[in-house]
Amino acid sequence: MARIAPRVLRSYLFGGQVLAIGCLRRNPVRSPALQRYHGTQASRADTDPAPISIPFRKQLKDEAKRRKAEGSGKKTKEDNQKLEDWELTVGIEIHAQLNTARKLFSSAASTINDIPNTHVALFDVAMPGSQPSFQKETLIPALRAALALNCTIQKTSKFDRKHYMHWDQPSGYQITQYYEPFAKDGHITLYAHDGIAKEDGDRIDIGIKQIQMEQDTAKTISQPGDIHLLDFNRVGLPLIEIITLPQIHHPSTAAALVRKVQIILNSVDACVLGLQSGGLRADVNVSVRRRDGEEGDNEYAGVKGLGKRTEIKNLSSFKAVEDAIIAERDRQIEVLDAGGKIEGETRGWTIGSTETRRLRGKEGEVDYRYMPDPDLGPVIIGQDLIDHLHESLGVLPDHEINVLVDDYGLTTKDAMSLVSLNEGGRHEYFCDVVDELQRLAPDQDLKEVGRLAGNWVLHEMGGLSNVEVEEDDPLRMTSDGDCIIPSAQIAQLVHYLDTSKINGKSAKKVLSELFSSGGSKSTKDLIDEAGLWFTPLSVAEYEELAKSILDMKVVEQILAGKDGKVNFLVGQMMRKDGDGRVDPQQAAVVLRKLIEEFRK
Amino acid sequence: MFSSQGRSKSKRKMEPKPRSPLWLADRPVAVKDNIATADLPTTCASGILKNHQSPFEASVVEQLRSIGATIMGKTNMDEFGMGSHSTNSFFGTVTNPPPFDRLSVGGSSGGSAVAVAENLVDLAIGTDTGGSVRLPAAYSGVVGFKPSYGIISRWGVVPYANSLDTVGILARSSEKVFKAFISMREHDPRDPTSLSEKSRMRAFTNSRNRWRKVRQQNHKDFQKLRIGVPEQYNIFELDDRTRWAWQLILMLFQDQGCTIVPISLPNTEKALPAYYVLAMAEAASNLSKYDGVRYGTRSKSRDGAGDVLYSESRGEGFGDEVKRRILLGSYALSSDAIDNYFIKAQKVRRLVQQDFDRVFSMPNPLRDPEQFDLSEMDESILLNNKLGPSQVDLIVCPTSPAPAPNLDDITNQRPVDAYINDVFTVPASMAGLPAISVPLKRRQEDGRRFDGMQIIGQYSDDNRVIAVAHELEKLLKNNDARWSRAESDSGTAISDRRWLDIMQLTFVHSRDVKV
Repeated sequence: MARIAPRVLRSYLFGGQVLAIGCLRRNPVRSPALQRYHGTQASRADTDPAPISIPFRKQLKDEAKRRKAEGSGKKTKEDNQKLEDWELTVGIEIHAQLNTARKLFSSAASTINDIPNTHVALFDVAMPGSQPSFQKETLIPALRAALALNCTIQKTSKFDRKHYMHWDQPSGYQITQYYEPFAKDGHITLYAHDGIAKEDGDRIDIGIKQIQMEQDTAKTISQPGDIHLLDFNRVGLPLIEIITLPQIHHPSTAAALVRKVQIILNSVDACVLGLQSGGLRADVNVSVRRRDGEEGDNEYAGVKGLGKRTEIKNLSSFKAVEDAIIAERDRQIEVLDAGGKIEGETRGWTIGSTETRRLRGKEGEVDYRYMPDPDLGPVIIGQDLIDHLHESLGVLPDHEINVLVDDYGLTTKDAMSLVSLNEGGRHEYFCDVVDELQRLAPDQDLKEVGRLAGNWVLHEMGGLSNVEVEEDDPLRMTSDGDCIIPSAQIAQLVHYLDTSKINGKSAKKVLSELFSSGGSKSTKDLIDEAGLWFTPLSVAEYEELAKSILDMKVVEQILAGKDGKVNFLVGQMMRKDGDGRVDPQQAAVVLRKLIEEFRK
Repeated sequence: MFSSQGRSKSKRKMEPKPRSPLWLADRPVAVKDNIATADLPTTCASGILKNHQSPFEASVVEQLRSIGATIMGKTNMDEFGMGSHSTNSFFGTVTNPPPFDRLSVGGSSGGSAVAVAENLVDLAIGTDTGGSVRLPAAYSGVVGFKPSYGIISRWGVVPYANSLDTVGILARSSEKVFKAFISMREHDPRDPTSLSEKSRMRAFTNSRNRWRKVRQQNHKDFQKLRIGVPEQYNIFELDDRTRWAWQLILMLFQDQGCTIVPISLPNTEKALPAYYVLAMAEAASNLSKYDGVRYGTRSKSRDGAGDVLYSESRGEGFGDEVKRRILLGSYALSSDAIDNYFIKAQKVRRLVQQDFDRVFSMPNPLRDPEQFDLSEMDESILLNNKLGPSQVDLIVCPTSPAPAPNLDDITNQRPVDAYINDVFTVPASMAGLPAISVPLKRRQEDGRRFDGMQIIGQYSDDNRVIAVAHELEKLLKNNDARWSRAESDSGTAISDRRWLDIMQLTFVHSRDVKV
């Protein structure tokens, strides 16, 4: 595709400057949650009473205060998964940004935080006369995701236009796969260790109806003074939308599903960024029905007898998924108990809130007027490609966790953390450390090595942080398992500790030195410099130390038969010796000898 | 007729491709205003793009420049190509010079047709979605050619209905049309609907094999053509003068030794309504990008003013016919109506394509050969013998049901009545077939009235369609005195011998014809 220099295009786009009138200034009443999902309605002051002028931080604080005030009577989340009389049914749609070099229909580069409007092709801004050119490389991560979620790949799939107008959608439609998606009929298995509700037992299978490819929208950057700037770098980036069947009946299972989808997508290198950073977004459909009552008369995705459902859009954290479902379930039950009816409507959720709120009702629904895109031919996927990707898919997280628990001796919780941190990078790092440790001590039991390495990689390293700057990831761990502290150095450190060349306290000190020196010095040099090598105290030194802390009162008590007080004195010795070289047993022997001398 | 004009000789320096002869060295060419040019505005004759300067250039414009053409200007048209008389333009109606200024010039490529007819340019390009090149060619008395769908790149052509849009060529002779055509028929990776090299090669091989067979039979030229006359085209609305002209032309062909064969295209009647459903649905979708935010004109009031986002900008920017088609198209796609309109229209489109595949002796290179079961055939189809209906090489029919109407009559018509003008041009568009309109000149007591005769061929048979148009031109002795000078200095003529070769080979491969 012909590329115009971004500078030229940028100056062209807004006539070189941002206009002060029109769509870039919005009505003040629209809440941020509304920005992405939006129909053709003009904003109207009466539809959305929530003003957004309160600073976010203050809002969170207020919410927290309010919750605390009313909190005491509430059930905890764990006890709030199942209700006696009502059955909850949830289906989830997850949007994830594919990990590709280019956009879905233009050769402009995919970037995340580049200078706004620097990666924009003609088609991305719907320049008249420009045409899409499907980047077939985007299929690779999409197919990997679909295979990891056990879907059947459709040999032929097609692209459709979904029409709605919004300023973040330059062409007035989004290209998606509505009639013929590329993957169908998959499933995802959730285990107890994934954090599903205990009512779901050890494992549960949730069906995946389909996965479709689609375009992302432009990014709206809101500024003070109700000014909204558009960044077209994001427009046209490839997304997949994963649609589950309505087979989830407990809020925490829903959150577990979203979390697990993220872990799986990361493990097959299919998507960029996690849910929290905006690379993944979820919409949930919620309905309830009485357990003893008549069946509902609604059918969704082939599941019959359900109650009327509502949709909660744009949830961006696991917690939000679970909390919003609970809140919406309770709201629906309240309405039904009061003899009311549930309207099929779209609702929103704000972090820290206790209620979902109505965004638009049925009458505000947009008719998307889906139409096959006449410029884009069908996508034909060959069996050879599917086979190749299947073979090269690698190990999926469930298998990885089993290996970590059974072979490396980690707890399930630690194994889960390892697999999910740093987009799999922490796990890579852990493996590097274990490999190195095995090289250093070939005879050691793998479980022991694993536990040691796990403790240091996960817990000790997890506690490191930079004093001056607050960072999300002070270790700068990459998904390939590289970080500030080279894995060989940490392995060396653990090895010294394990073979009593240094003691635990020194090891922690060396770790923080390794961190702050940014890996420029080796473990050995650091121990040398600080003189932290563990050298046992001589008998004379023990005696000297013991004498310095002897308290005659205590000695008399011990001589009188309170032998336990010896330990108190041992503790005193250990405290006195700042370097932690005191071996308690040795110390006790020396103390006893000294005390016995007093008896005479 | 121009919506913007270039300075003459403002030719861009462009390295000519080695194999492209400079057919049009320093010759003036006009470009319809919905085809992007980097040095002139591209307005689509719409208020919403009245100041739009495209940041890039269409492939066809690049190709024209590479054979030496000077882009004289951008020609006026019906807004976004929506119209049959070039009356729906933000810049005003396109008219003939007096005293014929009350006659329709045809549309939507009316400006391109008049620029050619008035000798201002050697050649003009337009776009043909449902007849928008052939109709103005017929009404203005020039040759108008719509190639097979996907042969000429649409990159840079502002879409009206992507699945039907083609770039067409208007000129005073079929020879010019042919030269321009072979200079523009390249595969373009930027246009996803451009026919691939592989498919072009297949069509080329098909026709070469056919040529060899024909040679063996010593059965070499124009005189052995079988020409189909679709009986469904003899409609009630057909003007007597046009019907008479049709008969005359068929007799001319017969005199040359061609065989005239009555054929049946039973889905013709449904083609027109189905065409309008599809074209409007695609148009409604394509035109949703015009909101005044990134380019184009924008209302002074807020984007959120009015009932719907951007309704003010769009309301001010679009003309009535465009609004009408957006509304109808949006309705055809709405969830309540799509099954009954859009989906049905797609099915009709398939039937229309099958109608053509059944009557053409040449197989459609894009589709596997189809078996047409006699028992499933429409009763109205005449059977040649017990093996089935007769097959033909080309179809000859009028371009429009009547000669150019009076503009005053058009304003009195309901908008929908104007759609009937496209009844003979739409079927070829629906099936993506090559079609050419050859002008018939007759002077009548009531002034100048032009008519066009249309030649339709099987998909990829573009060369033969143009070559037969050339034969017809010769038979009609179409040589306007005003044009003879302009035509005489426009390069080497193609020899008669060469025309016969051209006739035997299909369009597509760059190796097929060297003139």
